[in-house]
Amino acid sequence: MSGTLSRRKFLAASAAVTAGSLAAPWVARADAKEITALLITGGPLYPKYWEKIVQDFTAKTGIKVRYDLLEFTPLTAKVVTLSAARSSQYDVYSTHTAQIDSYFNHFAPLNSYFSDSELADFYPVAVKYLRDPKTGNLAAIPRNMDARVQYYRGDIYQEKGLKPAGTWEELVDVGLKLTGNGHYGLVVPGQGDPAQRTFSDLLWQAGGDWVDQANKPAFNSEAGIKALTFYRDLIQKHKIVPPDAVGYQWNENSTEFSSGTVYATFDWPGAFATLSNPETSRVVGKWSTAPYVRDKEAISCAISHAMALNGQSGRKEPAVEFIKYTVSTDAQRLQFDQFTNFPSSQSLAKEVIAAAKGPQATWLQQLETTIANGKEWPKLAGFSKVCTLMFSAIEQALSDQVSPADSLNQAAKEAEEIMRRAGAYD
Amino acid sequence: MAAVAQHRGPGRRRRSPLPYTWQRGYLLASPALLVMLAILIYPLGYSFVMSFFRWDLSGSAPFIGTGNYTDELFGRQFNQALRNQTIFSVVSITIEVVAGMAIAVLVNGKLRGMRLARTLLLVPPMIAPAVVGLNFRWLFNTQYGLVDALLRMFNLPDIPWLNHPTWALVSVIVADVWQNTPLMVLLFLAGLQSLPQEPLEAATVDGATPWQRFWHIVLPLMRPVIMIALMLRIIDTFRTFDVVWLMTQGGPGGATNLLTVYSYLLAFQAVDFGHAAAVSYIALGMSLFVLALLYGVPWLIAKRRAI
Repeated sequence: MSGTLSRRKFLAASAAVTAGSLAAPWVARADAKEITALLITGGPLYPKYWEKIVQDFTAKTGIKVRYDLLEFTPLTAKVVTLSAARSSQYDVYSTHTAQIDSYFNHFAPLNSYFSDSELADFYPVAVKYLRDPKTGNLAAIPRNMDARVQYYRGDIYQEKGLKPAGTWEELVDVGLKLTGNGHYGLVVPGQGDPAQRTFSDLLWQAGGDWVDQANKPAFNSEAGIKALTFYRDLIQKHKIVPPDAVGYQWNENSTEFSSGTVYATFDWPGAFATLSNPETSRVVGKWSTAPYVRDKEAISCAISHAMALNGQSGRKEPAVEFIKYTVSTDAQRLQFDQFTNFPSSQSLAKEVIAAAKGPQATWLQQLETTIANGKEWPKLAGFSKVCTLMFSAIEQALSDQVSPADSLNQAAKEAEEIMRRAGAYD
Repeated sequence: MAAVAQHRGPGRRRRSPLPYTWQRGYLLASPALLVMLAILIYPLGYSFVMSFFRWDLSGSAPFIGTGNYTDELFGRQFNQALRNQTIFSVVSITIEVVAGMAIAVLVNGKLRGMRLARTLLLVPPMIAPAVVGLNFRWLFNTQYGLVDALLRMFNLPDIPWLNHPTWALVSVIVADVWQNTPLMVLLFLAGLQSLPQEPLEAATVDGATPWQRFWHIVLPLMRPVIMIALMLRIIDTFRTFDVVWLMTQGGPGGATNLLTVYSYLLAFQAVDFGHAAAVSYIALGMSLFVLALLYGVPWLIAKRRAI
């Protein structure tokens, strides 16, 4: 065999590599006992969790799962790109209530794979907002619930003789008493989706809603303006929130509390585990939980991380088996044990609450109340684009560029036009 | 060796199925051309087509002509992004070119430590823009950042660098200037070192001051280099994304939304690829227009003078 590489050999090798690359997806697809999944991760424990879930699933069914892990934001961007390209690269996606309306035409309906009694065990608020309101199709199945409660520094509050805030007025009063010497009484996020979530909670608490009976924008109502004014004043007038919060998303928000700089926040279920871990928190053993604050109403969002079936998948049956396994009691219990993620199954949630003790039991009951009263913004055509508009509108008011009323009125006008063009009123 | 060459040369030619013609050249280049077509030309063409459709993920994608373009050109958010882009490009390029030229003239001199200075100038352009964005995000943090800490040391008030619309735009310009001015210095330094010395020596003999030599001799001779530097930076500022995304994500309230950031938000948050593609093509058109002005106007003036 000659050691030199001739042009002919080089061309033949290139052709072989090209042919191999082109044929690889079809060769991989030929194995019906293997599926692919794009799954969510976050923190050091998540990869091990998926590894165990996949191992257990394969041992039980013989179906192999090849999976990739991505954190929430890059995962969303990748699912958007793959859906736009009508890709069948992944059979299963991790997804979330927040942008589900964008995928109604790309995720395969799961209705026929779950019986009515199976669906009845999931929290109704989770299932409701994962359905396409036009067709009734279930775009995804909830894996765990996302709702927020108040986390506050029990030690500092006790030292100063304070109680956790129950109302908007109390939130300001307590915050003012705690702010000073480089510390702040409260932290709220002020950018992007987290800012919209916060505004949304305040909007519902003030008695308003995103749309009216005719699905026309109603977030610029008196309640909406009151909510955004209160939100802005926490940062700009009362100054009980760090000034940089205008640029904060969830990570910065959580870090301000876990680092000990800020004495209260509203955070997701995963915070319970993060704040209890000395590797991720400086305030272990120093914090407690309380219900979310209220105004006229005691409403905040109740959404869910979910699993979806790619409409382009050629292996729907085994893929659905995997999806069903990820929302099974075993998988949800493991999720709760590892990350304190609140189960989407009502029966399991009741078991978990009954078995919990001390502060964890109190916290779980507070979460369940939030979920029972919880809402989500509407899943109407074009609302994803309205969300992008809202990010900017809320940020402009929070950073004092325009008044809350002007910002919301302008956004409402543009939102109606966006939804009209998208066919929300057809 | 000569024997090997003699053996290989004619032997190869005899076995070749094609004569050495231009067609053979194209044939041999075709694999590379196909790859370019697949990964560059096709996506460009596809996104251009996309810009004429209502392309969200709703299933149908109706043709809407120039609808996406008119929506954006008359839209509030696009115009805010366009205004930001114009300020960002004009201010950062002006500072980078002026400061770049000044530093280049300085380090071109035979002062002590200039060799070290030239080496250090290589550092900022070598750092990934994402790292620059993260570093400046922390430097400009009001609570924990070094810049406000220094201001406090001198009893000066804090500056809300990333929270105030004007200061946020200033912050991203500062980060861009920090990273790209050294590149300008290196380009101008190369130009200065290749200038002919005779005109400068003649001017010195004639009693010209250093400023007169710079203004009347160095600057006109450096014009081709300055034009290339301007072209590179205009193209670059219209592509800036990483630094802004990591520092502000276009906020607060769109105050630092450049056209690239706005296009990304449209595609991946609003899931509206049609409008995102239209914004990208408007940005491309604008940068081409500016470049055409930059090169076309002097050419026209020169032509008119010649007539």
